[in-house]
This record gives sequence, C-alpha cells and structure tokens, in this order.
Amino acid sequence: MTMDRGPVNRRGFLRGAATAAAALAVVPRHVVGAESPTGPQPPSEVFACGLIGCGGQAGEDLKSYIKDWGADFKLLAAADVHYGHLQNAKKRWGEQVELYTDWRRVVERKDIDVVSIATPPHWHALCCIGAAQAGKDILCEKPMTKFIAEGRAVVTAVKRYGRVFQIGTSGRFGACKSPHSRMIHKIMRSGLLKNNCQGVFIQRGGFPVKRYCGLVNAKPEPVPKELDWDMYCGPAPVRPFHHDRFGWNHRFYWDYEGGALADFAQHYMDPFQWIYGKDDTSPVEVETLAAPAHPECCTPWAWAELKYADGLTLVLDGNEWGPRYDRKKERRVDLSDLDAESQEKLKALPDPEPLLTFPEAVRQRKDSGGHVEAAHRAITIAHLANISLRLGRKIKYDPVKEQVIGDDVANRLVYQPMREPWHL
Amino acid sequence: MPASEQLKALVEQIPDHDKGGSYVSLTPEAGEAMRTLAAEILKGGRENVLGLVDLLVEPKIGEEVKDIKPHYALHLVAVHVTGEGQEKARAEVALALASQLGGDRPKAIQKYLIQEIQLCGGKEVTETLGKMLLDPDLYDDAARALAAIKEGAADVLLAALPNVKGRARLSVIKKLAVLKCEKAADVFKQALAEQDLDIRIAGAWGISRIADASAPEALLKAADGARDWERLNLSDAAMSLADALLAAGKKPEAAAIYAHMATTRTDPTEKHIKQAAERGLAATK
Repeated sequence: MTMDRGPVNRRGFLRGAATAAAALAVVPRHVVGAESPTGPQPPSEVFACGLIGCGGQAGEDLKSYIKDWGADFKLLAAADVHYGHLQNAKKRWGEQVELYTDWRRVVERKDIDVVSIATPPHWHALCCIGAAQAGKDILCEKPMTKFIAEGRAVVTAVKRYGRVFQIGTSGRFGACKSPHSRMIHKIMRSGLLKNNCQGVFIQRGGFPVKRYCGLVNAKPEPVPKELDWDMYCGPAPVRPFHHDRFGWNHRFYWDYEGGALADFAQHYMDPFQWIYGKDDTSPVEVETLAAPAHPECCTPWAWAELKYADGLTLVLDGNEWGPRYDRKKERRVDLSDLDAESQEKLKALPDPEPLLTFPEAVRQRKDSGGHVEAAHRAITIAHLANISLRLGRKIKYDPVKEQVIGDDVANRLVYQPMREPWHL
Repeated sequence: MPASEQLKALVEQIPDHDKGGSYVSLTPEAGEAMRTLAAEILKGGRENVLGLVDLLVEPKIGEEVKDIKPHYALHLVAVHVTGEGQEKARAEVALALASQLGGDRPKAIQKYLIQEIQLCGGKEVTETLGKMLLDPDLYDDAARALAAIKEGAADVLLAALPNVKGRARLSVIKKLAVLKCEKAADVFKQALAEQDLDIRIAGAWGISRIADASAPEALLKAADGARDWERLNLSDAAMSLADALLAAGKKPEAAAIYAHMATTRTDPTEKHIKQAAERGLAATK
C-alpha cells in the first residue's frame, strides 16, 4: 500500500534538489565510533538529523533539545504527507534536506543519527519504534502516544536497542533544581512513607478544555491534492476528510490524540512525576467528571482524580467546564510527614542525580532526563483519565501489567488495533 | 426498522451542538440527562437500537451532517451497555447492530456500526464480523473489531483466511498476530516466503508474538536476506522472538537466535542490533 513512497518526485509531490554531497557533510556518529562511551567523538558536536512531520511543531525539538542544550544539528532528511509542509521544510532548513512522503525512508537512511518526530500523535509510537529498530536516537513531540499499549511498545524498542529518547517537554529539568522539589523527590523515592502518603497534588487549570472539542457537524470535504490522506490517517481509521482533522486541530479527535488532557498532561505530568518519584509506575484508581463522550470528537470534562498505590492523589482540574474539583484539598508532601527517625534516615540518603540533557545522554549513552519510561508513564496518566471519561466510569488499573482491572471494554482503549498494514 | 415517534422524541432530547459545531456549551446537567436518555432508549430494546440505526445518514462531501443526534445517541447506548450488570443488554445491542451489517446500508454507516460493535460487542457477533472480512470496504474495520473483542475472534479469522485475498488477507494475518493465535503458527511461517512485503512482515511479527520455538531458522533466513524497512522489521521480530523465548525459560533456543544476530549484524549501521543480541546472549548464561 505504501511501500513505494520513495523520495518525493515532481509527478506526485515535487522532489527537492537534494544533494548527496551535502548529506555527506556531516559525519554520522556511528562512523566515528561515538556509540561507545570510550570511543572517539565526531569531528564536531553536530547531529545528523531526520525530521518526521514538518508541520507547526517541526524543528522545535531539534532547537530545544539539541541547539539550546549546547550542541548542533544538520537536517538531512524530512518526511511529511503534505507537499506544502515538505516545501517549507526545504526553505527553512536548506537544500541539503531530502524530502520524503513516507517516514520509513528517513529511518532507513544510514547517515542519520537522530530522528525528530513531530507528526500528529497517532503516528508517534510507530515512528519511534521504527527509529529505534534502525538505531536512531529519538526526539519525540508530546504527547508521546495515542494509547497506553503504544507506550510500552516504544519503551521495549528503545531499551532493546539502547537508544536515547527525549520527550518534547522539559519541565522536570527545572523542577529537579528546586530544593523543595528535590526534597519531595527524595522522600517519595525513599520508601519511608510506607504506602501511607497523604499528598494531594492538584493541577488546576491550564487545560483548554473548551477549545479542544471536535466538530460534530464537520461536512466532509474533498481531500486536497497536496495531501496524502491515507498516509496521514495511517494506523487510525480513514474518515471522510475535513480540514479540522488535519493540521493543528487534529488534537480534538480521538483518532489522532485525546483533547486537552492528552495534549497538555505530558507537560504538567513531566515535572510532577519526577518530583513525586512516579517515573516507573502509574495510578491504580481513576475517576472523572465529564460530559458523555462523543464517539469521535473530544467533549468537555471537569476533572480527573487519580490515586496511586502509595496513597498519593493526583488531580487534573480542567477548571473550564462543570464544577471545580472539591473532594480533597491540596496537600504537599514535606519533611513533617516523616517521624524523627525517618528524617534522620532521609538525611543519610544520597541526593538525586542531575538529569542529563539529550546531547549529554547521547554522548554518554545514558538516559536523557525526559527518558522513554518516564514519558510513557506521564502520558499514561492522560490516557487513563480519557478512558475513564470516555466510558463514564471509575476504573482500576494494574500499573505492572498495564491493564485495566476487570473491565474488558476499558482494555479495548488500552490497546487499540491498528489499520493495516500497521502494527505495534 | 424505522424509528418510532417515541424514539425520535427521545433522540431529540440530545442537546443541539453549539454554533461552532462542538458540544462546548453542553452543561453538566444536560450531560447527566443524556446518560439517562441512553437507559430510556434501551427500554425499547432491539427495536429502538434498529430504529437508531435507521436514523443514521451517510455523510457526503459538501453536505450538512444530518444524523448528529442519532449518531451520538447510538454511542451513548453502546457505552451504557458496557457498564456493570448490563451483560444481557450488551449482547442484545451488539446483535442488533450486527444484524444490520452486510445489507444495502451505505458502507460508511456500516463502518460506524462496526466501530460501536468494537466497543460493546462480544463473542455473539464474531461470526457476523467474520463475514465482513470478505467485504472490500469493511474488512479492516471488521478485523480490528475482532481483534478488540478477542473471545472467539481467532477462530473466525482463521476460518476466513482461505477466502480472503490481498489487503484483506494482510489484515487477517495481522490480527491473528495481535491475538497471539498459536493455531496460526504455520500461517505465519508460510507468510515469510510470500511476494508481498507487508505479508512477510506480518508473518515475522506473528512468529514473535506467539514465541514460536520452531520458527527461528525460517525467520532468521528471511531476515538475513531482507533489505531496508523489511530488514529492520524482520530483525526486530527475531530479537523479539529471542526475548520471548528467554522469558519463557527456553534459554538454548533464545541463545541460538542472539548468537546468530550478534555474528551477522556486523555492519556499523547495525551495531545496535549486534549489541542488543550480545546483551541477550549474556542474559542466557
């Protein structure tokens, strides 16, 4: 169906004047042995990069997580399903960028070290897995995935091949420098609360709940000539085209993302998870207050309450629709939660390690601060809340098996079978 | 079955969308009433479900959407019956929806019915979904629904396999892999030698999903001979198979795969596979 999507040509989408010579100007890191922690470094700290998805967020991660963190990159290849986006990529990044309508051609290239993924989220997992299988390090826009099982598959692939992964949000890098946050992190990771955590963390507002509702009256439109709609839909069902489903507003539809919860929770949960030491687990109970969900369009919600096995409560209060969350009051974890003996024990424990930036992590072949398991667990919070609100009921979750307990239908949203030829 | 006037009146109780076309202005009270509405509709049983289906209208390019309320209402019903204590109603709704597949209704509507069956359906509708695997417009929707339903789905997919062709066949093989169908072991192995690249990839994935200890030789041979995207996928299937065998305590079988991958993936661009295989090999010791 899609395997013949080679470099872009003028008959389909125009081929840019890509030059092999330009592509060779940057020496891929594997050529100079940079994979080994003791091996030589490349001639300069310049990553040979490929870009998958050339829309609004394209290149933001390359800037934020490579350039702003002291390294540099050269873009050699870019893929998108929209001709206009591809042409913009060439204008923005230079003539050396070879253009493709199929992202698989980018990950196949042997001269690329890092792939930056900025497609709509229903593609993120497949692109991440393909990149990991091809030995690329990965920058992935948030939200990391569309559903929970995708996240586990990405984690498996990234870990199997020892890849460095950084999610497209960086709140934890600031949080980990705050003495107060570091103290909470230390308390939570110490185990001294003994599953009797009284903490209540409330994220009030910051979710554009109303803006992120899909159009239930969208009149089907002809597919624009410059768009490969089938490839855009990819693993998601093919619907009649409407411009709202393509571009920025894809966020409002279950097929591609998951509304304000999915789009913003990764930002807020990234520092929360580090501070509260939840990078390796997920909530066990989830309850939401929301309007009855529409089958295809995201609809308004009021709040989500998520409880962890150790007693910690996390609340996402949309603060735009319905009543505000008032079941519990915010309560920070602090030293007074520990008795004197436990406080002494805490003092003896080492401080948390500093987080590595993406370039540092690549250099040292270690996890980046926004690593793959943390990113998966962060977006799992949003997915769980969305499952609860889509079904209009409380769910219980097993964070080890990553399955909803005793609710077969809820698990149909944990793992959503993909349209052929795609699979996790 | 045409919708009764009573059903139409119930559907009309669903609030209008707001001017912008979404349900932003839906109040929490109206939302609660919509949930009650689903229960009210269900009191009319199968007749009302069929009536809702009859109110659905095929979306057409450039035309206003004409079935917003029944479309929403049918989903509310499908969600409602997935709740606790609703097993009998759930099966009744799923069967009613399935009874509308395969006829003259526009394919877009049938796709929507399958989508809702994917949510609320169970074993009782797998046979009907199996028939839809032969429909060139519906096969993939039906296959996805079967994979989501799980119970009884693998047998239906297997039974359909001799009769499906082209992309439908790919879809069926993929979903057998999703379901980890051990009875499909030979199907997966044979797929490795097919002309269609996607079928070969599906076969390799299936082998890794069922952790088939009899398949490494065929899989490794196929992976070694593959190029580009296929090579990435088949190599990964081999590594996944080795990991699964190791997890199942089959260390010698896993070690053989890891050793093969470690000694054959010598190109610098495959160093990550070699290193993964070496880590796997060490874990078998």
